Amino acid sequence: MSRKRDPGPIGWTWRWLLFAVAALILNLPVVFTVLTSFKTNADINASPPVWLFAPTLQHYAEVLTTPTLNFPRYLMNSFVLAAAGTAIALVLAVPAAYAIVRMKFGGGTIVPIVLMLRSLPLVIFAIPFYFMFQWLGLLDTRLGLSIIAAIINLPFALLFAIAMVRDLPYEIEEAARVDGAGIGMLLWRIVLPLGRPMLISIAILSFIYAWNEFLFGLILTTRSATPVTVGATLFATSFGIRWGPTSAAMVLSLLPPMLVGLVCFRYLTRALTAGAIKG
Amino acid sequence: MHRRREAWWLIAPLAIFMVVWLGFPFLSNLYYSLSDVTFETLGSPTLTGLHNFADAANSAAFWQSLWFSLRFAVIATTAQIIIALTLAIALRPLLERYRFLLAILILPLMISPALMGIMYKLMLNEFVGVVPQYLALFGLYPNLLGPDWVVTVVIAIEVLQWTPFALLLLLTALQAIPDELLDAAYVDGAKPRDQVRRIVLPLMGPAIAITAFIRFIDSFRVFDHIYVLTGGGPGTLTTSSSIFIYRAFFQQGRLGFAIASSLILMAFSLLLLWATMRYVLKGART
Repeated sequence: MSRKRDPGPIGWTWRWLLFAVAALILNLPVVFTVLTSFKTNADINASPPVWLFAPTLQHYAEVLTTPTLNFPRYLMNSFVLAAAGTAIALVLAVPAAYAIVRMKFGGGTIVPIVLMLRSLPLVIFAIPFYFMFQWLGLLDTRLGLSIIAAIINLPFALLFAIAMVRDLPYEIEEAARVDGAGIGMLLWRIVLPLGRPMLISIAILSFIYAWNEFLFGLILTTRSATPVTVGATLFATSFGIRWGPTSAAMVLSLLPPMLVGLVCFRYLTRALTAGAIKG
Repeated sequence: MHRRREAWWLIAPLAIFMVVWLGFPFLSNLYYSLSDVTFETLGSPTLTGLHNFADAANSAAFWQSLWFSLRFAVIATTAQIIIALTLAIALRPLLERYRFLLAILILPLMISPALMGIMYKLMLNEFVGVVPQYLALFGLYPNLLGPDWVVTVVIAIEVLQWTPFALLLLLTALQAIPDELLDAAYVDGAKPRDQVRRIVLPLMGPAIAITAFIRFIDSFRVFDHIYVLTGGGPGTLTTSSSIFIYRAFFQQGRLGFAIASSLILMAFSLLLLWATMRYVLKGART
């Protein structure tokens, strides 16, 4: 009771101040990039920086319509690989989690391996994947990067799915079993609907992680399957860095995961904290 | 027995997926690391024994990069935990009353580290960047990507991007502390400072350990923002292990050497992982 006591006007004031400073410092790069993307070249080069200016969409138009830049394709690549990677990870993780929790099967081997996968530097996998993809013809394909996204997301998808199944009420499943429901029916009709909030959390986090991946995109693509994270860096170098178009490209690339994260903020925080506590 | 077969069916897709996509890389790594091979002779490597491993183990640059990654991870993790803990304790009433404020603070978590790197490249650019321009107003002209500052700068970027993650976790742990404990301490006349030191910190020990562990693992494998910002330079000042191996493989074409280095890095990481799990996390749980 008494703990919820009001900090008082002074207490509130310095807390607001601290928040404002922290929020500004943490988000300054994004704010500055967004502003730059709407500036004319003259405003970009002004010194000291101008904060009020007449906004222009010229850089966005250039980025999205210049055919040689290929930027819409990069955006599409990222959408495909993030969505497909998320789907693959979920399809593999949920049934396995069910077997591990309810049937006490395989958890002893798979969980440690998956945790190890989460902890090792990714560059260790990058080189053999390059060979393997070359051999299978998966270099520079969306399918290839989707598989990578699934591999990157599997560790936490599996851990979260295990936590999800563990929290489901066992009685309902038993009752369904007695009524003769097969395992497929059980997963489809009971586990998926009851576990939906957690599944959404997994999907959102997985989408964001996959979208933001960089190293594999850099190594395994050249032109046609390049994700936006890599595309935006190509931009920064190929132009001799023209900051207007580069900023516009960056804003377009960071918007999708950020929108997903903000709209589903509740699920996202749940996923992040659940992952840490369970993992 | 029937259930056992069902369990097999449920787990088989994941198991097969992992055997295929992790088994092959492991075998090819093992084979190529023992071979003399270039991009031209991928199909016909000549086995040469352990000399790639000897080269890597004798390479000062390799150990230097490992040392950089370790130092980077230790400093960045420590800073993230301290800042996040302070923010969590100080801002808790505010963030509990206005939940959406937390969304503003954790925005950086949703941004690709590579893009973050380019954004800082823009911020630090000597002509158009906001940081040098304002420093210049104070008569300061530091070369922030030069040898004197670059290590600090790449560590600072890591801290600024990932402190929100630690904040989120520590805030959740803080909220899990039973109010009665703090009430009792308050009634007994404990000062806020004592409350934090005697009650909050000890109770949050496990959460702090786990958060630090996750952040350490991720910082240790740093690649993205350093790669786009400095490429590992100037010289090799900001070359992390991941960047070192990437360069050896893709830019210098020293395939066997790069793979041997990556296997040593893997052994080292596993050792580190095992030690932390055993000492830090176990200690945190009791």
